[in-house]
Amino acid sequence: MFPGVDGFHWSFGHILFLSLFFAVALTILTTVVSAVWRTIRDFHANRAIEMCWKSDFAELPETERRCRHELAGRVISRTCDNAFDCRQCSKYSQFAVLPARGVVRDLGLDYSEDRFYHRGHTWVKPEEDGTFTIGPDELAEHLIGSPDSIEMPELGSEIEVNGTAWRMKKNGNEIRVRAPIEGTVVGIGGPKEGWYLKMRPRLNPNDPATLRHLLRGAEVHGWLSRELERLQLQLRAPNTAPSLADGGVLLPGLMDAVPEADWGTVLADTFLET
Amino acid sequence: MSARYGMAIDLDRCTGCGACMVACAAENNAPPLPQATPRTGLTSMLVRQVSNGMEGAARREVFIPIMCMHCEHETPCVSVCPQQAVEVDKATGIVMQMPQRCLGCRYCMTACPYHARYFNWWDPAWPAGMEKSLNPGVAARMRGVVEKCNMCHARLHSARAKAAAAGKREIDPADYIPACVEACPTEAIRFGNLADENDPVSRDAHSPDAFRMLARLDTEPKLYYKSKEAWVRELAESKSGRGPEVKHG
Amino acid sequence: MASTAMADSRWIARGAERTPLPQFLLWLAPWAVILALGIYAAGLCLYYGLNQTNLDNRFAFGLWIFLDLGIIALGAGAFFTGFLVYILKRTELQPILNSAVVLGFICYSGAVAVLMVDVGQPLRAWFTFWHPNAHSMLTEVTFCISCYLLVLSLEYVPILLRNRQLRKLPSFLVFEHQLHKLVPVLAGVGTLLSFFHQGSLGGLYGVLRGRPFAFREGFLIWPSTFFLFILSAIASGPSFLILVTAAVEKVTGRRLVPQELFQRLGFISGVLLAIYVAAKSIDTLIWLNVTSPSVGFAPWQYYNYKPFGLPILFLEIVVFGLLPAFLLTYRRSAKRRGLLLSAAALACAGILLNRFVLTVQTLALPTLAFDDFLHYTPSWQEVASFGGVIGYGVIVYSLSYRYLPLFAQSKGENTHVSGS
Repeated sequence: MFPGVDGFHWSFGHILFLSLFFAVALTILTTVVSAVWRTIRDFHANRAIEMCWKSDFAELPETERRCRHELAGRVISRTCDNAFDCRQCSKYSQFAVLPARGVVRDLGLDYSEDRFYHRGHTWVKPEEDGTFTIGPDELAEHLIGSPDSIEMPELGSEIEVNGTAWRMKKNGNEIRVRAPIEGTVVGIGGPKEGWYLKMRPRLNPNDPATLRHLLRGAEVHGWLSRELERLQLQLRAPNTAPSLADGGVLLPGLMDAVPEADWGTVLADTFLET
Repeated sequence: MSARYGMAIDLDRCTGCGACMVACAAENNAPPLPQATPRTGLTSMLVRQVSNGMEGAARREVFIPIMCMHCEHETPCVSVCPQQAVEVDKATGIVMQMPQRCLGCRYCMTACPYHARYFNWWDPAWPAGMEKSLNPGVAARMRGVVEKCNMCHARLHSARAKAAAAGKREIDPADYIPACVEACPTEAIRFGNLADENDPVSRDAHSPDAFRMLARLDTEPKLYYKSKEAWVRELAESKSGRGPEVKHG
Repeated sequence: MASTAMADSRWIARGAERTPLPQFLLWLAPWAVILALGIYAAGLCLYYGLNQTNLDNRFAFGLWIFLDLGIIALGAGAFFTGFLVYILKRTELQPILNSAVVLGFICYSGAVAVLMVDVGQPLRAWFTFWHPNAHSMLTEVTFCISCYLLVLSLEYVPILLRNRQLRKLPSFLVFEHQLHKLVPVLAGVGTLLSFFHQGSLGGLYGVLRGRPFAFREGFLIWPSTFFLFILSAIASGPSFLILVTAAVEKVTGRRLVPQELFQRLGFISGVLLAIYVAAKSIDTLIWLNVTSPSVGFAPWQYYNYKPFGLPILFLEIVVFGLLPAFLLTYRRSAKRRGLLLSAAALACAGILLNRFVLTVQTLALPTLAFDDFLHYTPSWQEVASFGGVIGYGVIVYSLSYRYLPLFAQSKGENTHVSGS
């Protein structure tokens, strides 16, 4: 019986039993409350997006988690173990000094040197007024063609890196484009403006470390070659071998041109979704 | 002064008439249960028919009333009930079952070596008109709970109420007689206070012909059986060393 | 089969191959029928009363209690694997952990469901919590199993939240992450609770002084069956995991865990089984020669009745104990999948036989000198109720396998086993 119930009297057995039981019950309760409280705290500290990204990253296929230094030819093979967060990677500087060995060739895609590229196929361009403009890279544009609808964030809203920048719909597929950098939205554009978002970065725009996690230069070529290879395999007709050993040139509006392909998988691999 | 109520049952006197079983059922509002089998009935008092296994002129039979033994030492059913629906009443030594707290897990039934506990497998139902014969002093049990002999505790309540009304502290022993004892035509079953050394039941308990069932299990039952027949006294312990054949009712 | 072609492909992890939805529903159909039958049978028992069963005043415990104890023992793989992985840091067992948690959840929730039908007044179940009897093993069992079912549910939640669609809600994913970090605490609590309730289930029988067949002396308040049940549970748990995983591999047609994992689990099971057999042999000798005769029951009395003769003891200790212990630990036999699985099955059968003997044989044997050896056959309602638990288990496990990451697989490294 419990204290307060008629006929109860303390004995050693009761003390032992009740203390054990309540210790266990308290531990379980503390665990649940702790998990809930930490979850709420993470949301308040805006760490939710970061944690979701880390979790999603772990679910990506291994082929989508190649380290940028492997793509640039600095190392033979390396899988990223840090969710592409080169700004916090302890090994980054160790590999960055190695010479990049990539074949620079014309891939039929427009890539400029003044832009920095996110693995989710967006580019970041630092402007003179200290803001960054952001847009989808040409591979993404070639894939989607003209989207059926675009859902942009609100002016003034905060965006987290690897969170949602904007959403698009095309042929019944929903595409969530990941943000390449964290900051506040100060301008909204679209396909006609040549950029989609203008953001005031949270970190110092003049500090080179701010954009360290984005690809640039020779790395972009290595990365894009791999992406094009992947697309070739994914978009070919079933039961055929890959043809055109040199890769060929991307047609615009692929989602309309090859509607029978497994677009769920193609878009998920391209835009880093699970 | 606390009592230790017990019984002395003289097996040489028991005729197997079954009046005790009927009286118990009537006192405790046991439903008739026409659908019950020998193993699913509610027989808090049950008379077993046992033979010595021989045939012809050498055959002997005995009738053994079995009911809750109200064990005193490490009462098996009390220690196992998960919600303390059974307890030993310190004032009387009666092992009290609380049907309203019973979960119906039946652990106590597996624990009892005397098989003196019975489960309500059905909802109780009485044919029309029989409700007039019910005993208002005893609550009927619902389906799904365990019940057993509780030494006609309602009669103890009445005796206490009567004594209190008369301003007395102790009950008059003549006022508290369990139904089976009252009904037995040969006075084979006798009821008394084992704590009182002058009580006839107490003296019977110490007689050389007295024995208790499965005494070696060390449960200290308060029901004493008596018989001058050696083969009956041997029924006290398990079949160890004896032949296997017995008949039972 | 490309999973995106299926109606429920949104719910299936990307890259995971699953059978088409119609085929999957066809697989579930017979189990659903069995479950429905079980629910109907249980409903009959709840509505009309326990007279629907063949239980009676002499066989107060029957098929349900025997099978409850059996699946709780077999479900011990959940807590034991958690203990090995999180407390003893045996990370090589990690791939099977999620499956073990789901299996444990199924076993315990199924057992509790059957228990609610087994008791006469299920609505009074909370009485045990309000008026607990510290002396009763059953109180201990009730508390521990309730708490442990809660722990298992909490361990199941992170697995559930990693479903492809559910994880899209940020609050779910973050909560899953935080809960997952605390799983070692839950594993520790689960180990403590399991230790006690597996033991107390043994204690249930060992304290029955009125049933010398079951009664045992022990250490302080704990009869030897307390420790024997813990040992047999942790010995059979890993074996049961092996059997279930092998069955899932057969049904799905793919290798789900590294094959060395089976041998490792088998080795652990075998070693514990060997210790159990040794302990049980010593315990049996003491019981037959000392404990039982001291209360007037000679050992031969127990084994006089066919078919419960001495062969049952031999079966339990040697055929289902010593033999699988040897096969599981001896490397040359453990390497062969057929022998490994057979040995695991023998081990599980041994534990089930042990629970059966202690439940049914205990009650069948006479105590009073003028009693007979009794017989009991379960009614169809009892069998169907328990069938319902199995149907429930297969359905929950199948759904978990289809939609949740039960087995850690590197994407693109699934090897298809021929013949599927």
